[in-house]
Amino acid sequence: MTNDIKPVSGEKKVFMTGNEVVAWAALAAGVDIMYGYPITPQNEIMHYWTRMVPKFNKKFLQTEDELSAGFATLGGVLSGKKAFTATAGPGNILMQEPFSMAEMMRIPAVLVVQQRGGPSTATVIYSQQEVTMTCYGGNGEGLRIVYSTAGNQDLYDYTIKAFNTAWKYRFPTFVLGDGYQAKMRESLTIYNPEERGIDLVPATPMVGAPGTPGIHREPNHLRNTYNTEEELFQVIREMVTEYNLIAAEIVECDAQRCEDAEIVLISHGVVSRACLAAVSRLRELGIKAGYFRPITLRPFPETQLRQLAKNAKRLLVVESAEGQLAKLIMQSIYGLTIPMENYFRPGLGITAEEVVSQVENLLVVY
Amino acid sequence: MEVVQPVMPQSWRIESKPHKFCPGCGHGSVLKALGEVIDELKIQDRVIFGCDIGCSLLAWDFFNLDIIQTHHGRTTPVITGIKRARPELIGVAYMGDGGGYAIGSQHLVNAATRNEQVFVLLANNTNYGMTGGQMAPTTLPGQKTETCPYGRDVKETGNPTLGPEMVAAIASEGAYVARGTVANYRQLKKFVKKAMENQLAGNGFSFVEALAGCPTNWRTNAEKTWAFIEQKMPEYFKVGELKIPAGIKEG
Amino acid sequence: MTRILEAYVGEYASGKSENAVNRAVKLAGENRKVTLVDLDIVEPFYTLRPIKKELAAMGIDVVAWETKETDGLGEAGTIIKPEMRWVLSRPGDVILDIGYGVEGAKTLNLVEDALNDPDLKIYLVINIARPMTMTEEDIWEYALQLSPIHGLINNSHLGDETDLEVIQEGARIVTKVASRLNLPVIATAVDERFADQMDSQDCMGNPIRFLKRFMPKTFW
Repeated sequence: MTNDIKPVSGEKKVFMTGNEVVAWAALAAGVDIMYGYPITPQNEIMHYWTRMVPKFNKKFLQTEDELSAGFATLGGVLSGKKAFTATAGPGNILMQEPFSMAEMMRIPAVLVVQQRGGPSTATVIYSQQEVTMTCYGGNGEGLRIVYSTAGNQDLYDYTIKAFNTAWKYRFPTFVLGDGYQAKMRESLTIYNPEERGIDLVPATPMVGAPGTPGIHREPNHLRNTYNTEEELFQVIREMVTEYNLIAAEIVECDAQRCEDAEIVLISHGVVSRACLAAVSRLRELGIKAGYFRPITLRPFPETQLRQLAKNAKRLLVVESAEGQLAKLIMQSIYGLTIPMENYFRPGLGITAEEVVSQVENLLVVY
Repeated sequence: MEVVQPVMPQSWRIESKPHKFCPGCGHGSVLKALGEVIDELKIQDRVIFGCDIGCSLLAWDFFNLDIIQTHHGRTTPVITGIKRARPELIGVAYMGDGGGYAIGSQHLVNAATRNEQVFVLLANNTNYGMTGGQMAPTTLPGQKTETCPYGRDVKETGNPTLGPEMVAAIASEGAYVARGTVANYRQLKKFVKKAMENQLAGNGFSFVEALAGCPTNWRTNAEKTWAFIEQKMPEYFKVGELKIPAGIKEG
Repeated sequence: MTRILEAYVGEYASGKSENAVNRAVKLAGENRKVTLVDLDIVEPFYTLRPIKKELAAMGIDVVAWETKETDGLGEAGTIIKPEMRWVLSRPGDVILDIGYGVEGAKTLNLVEDALNDPDLKIYLVINIARPMTMTEEDIWEYALQLSPIHGLINNSHLGDETDLEVIQEGARIVTKVASRLNLPVIATAVDERFADQMDSQDCMGNPIRFLKRFMPKTFW
């Protein structure tokens, strides 16, 4: 007899911190097991998950490092259970190894990243400096899905979505938060996804399915090596084709007030909150500012961005990194001649007031 | 004339035979012992086999079992992850001396101390075979390899790793630890069986190191290969059981 | 005059620090000598460090590290300031902000003679909008885990989305738990922006303490 109390039923308004939200969302998404290793600023994900383990009949393993946490997560997923892990900074570097294996073998693993200052140990606090690594880390083509959240409600919604996306499309999926979001306290609505009409994609085993291999069914022999260059090329070609095909279904972004915009502010994650507030303020001051926020960094909303870039006069990229978002943008708008400015603040939080100042200074120059 | 074929374990996969290991390779014997034990214990429906990078990788299609080939040194955590999520399955992590004692030692040590209910089976042939024969943690003093061409100097690089001794020292009550050798197949198979039974009983961590030959990289003929396994290796690596859960007979 | 010794304990993000700071500010405003101690040792964040100077200017002696004195917060940072261990030997009032953690009030073992001191009052701060302390049963179990405690404080809110209903519902639930524990409800704590909407007592007759918001300035 299973002890199947639903962790979340109906809808409820609560006051939580970001890391806690991730743990609750994983519960609501039907996750069975979390593997993890301590690193600031994401430890509360484990602190809360372990407190809830006995209440909801879940499992947890603290491993000896992030390599083991990542590879054990792959094991859990391979065995047909919804599993995830979480990390930050130097831990994210280690996670690139297991998640490369997940990319090659189409293992639907989920990683939550709470970005901190980098490189190396740097700060435990905040940055947006893990964009390149989370989108393209590892030794492959970055065939992965990355959601960049901007607060507690997002962390809840997109953590649930990450499991559905991973299990439906079978590319490793990442929820990219940061240290500010991890610790931020704000209210949100937690809900049972199925009661809201969001179906949970079921997990299926890649190893250990019923039946004796060789007798009742063929064995599943899973490898990540190939013997010849030609074999590898074929495999990658097929994966890329599939990835590009499903990109349109997965891509998400938010654009506001761009139709008549003189300058469009582009930002992601928590910085987009500052930029949205800045656009409001700028409009009050008579400046025609627009707002664009990629929500999926992989696949990047290239089509949508190119469209609005054709109409706008100037772009301003705002990020807490030295051009990691800007690189993704430039890749997307290659060929367009729209001028692009930047406001790079690696490791530093960005306020709406700063952004307003930046725009005002820019427009004075022009 | 009828050709007599050696009997293959039922859990072996005929379609992947003849296998790709070198002639005289120790892996063939170790995997035969494992296959026979799976047959005898009738657990072919439950075993998940993980293999590492290196020659152990050639076992990726060896059995009629679900098999996962992992990254170098990461077989132990992947099998641990599977076993933790689905305790009804039997997890076997197969690797060489590099995967177990170098890049994977962190994972081996911690799986042992946490008493993970998995079976780590390690083939020790004193070198990194697949990559051309480099020095390994278990390379013997004076032994020549591609990265110690003048012979292993213990002053520079220490002594060969005593894996089962280390695991036995740190493992909990309920663990089973042994070192066998392809030179004594019956004994090796008995150790493999006890390790497997240990997991089936839910006692704890099981670890068996098997001394194995690598004539290709040792550059030895049949006679010299056996001499190395039977005489030289046991000078450093003592064969026998090192840890047995209470209540189980010493083999 | 008897000195006031109070320790504020509770769930992560329950409002312990805000309540502890406000208490210290109120006592200093009455011209009392007050020491405020930052004992957050699990995950150093949202603690008193960044507002130390501002509080000192109000006459409060703050025992906490300055952010720039710590090396690599949360990684290689020093946690306990030696003065914290002997803080009760100082004259005047002492308010202790005990960070969260599975051991709760046991952190007080780190303060010399704290748990033996008959005058030390340990107050449990509760916000019913926090998932682990939403129901009477959950709060009851939580309180039992954290003993000893001497009183409860209802600090129920939803941040910017707070309304009177959640505050009063909190008062009802916390008062029920308090009576089961045979302990007083010390107060219902409310953001001062509600001052013109509320009386001096909540719906259960507990006194209201209006809080000035200091903690938002302490985001790292």
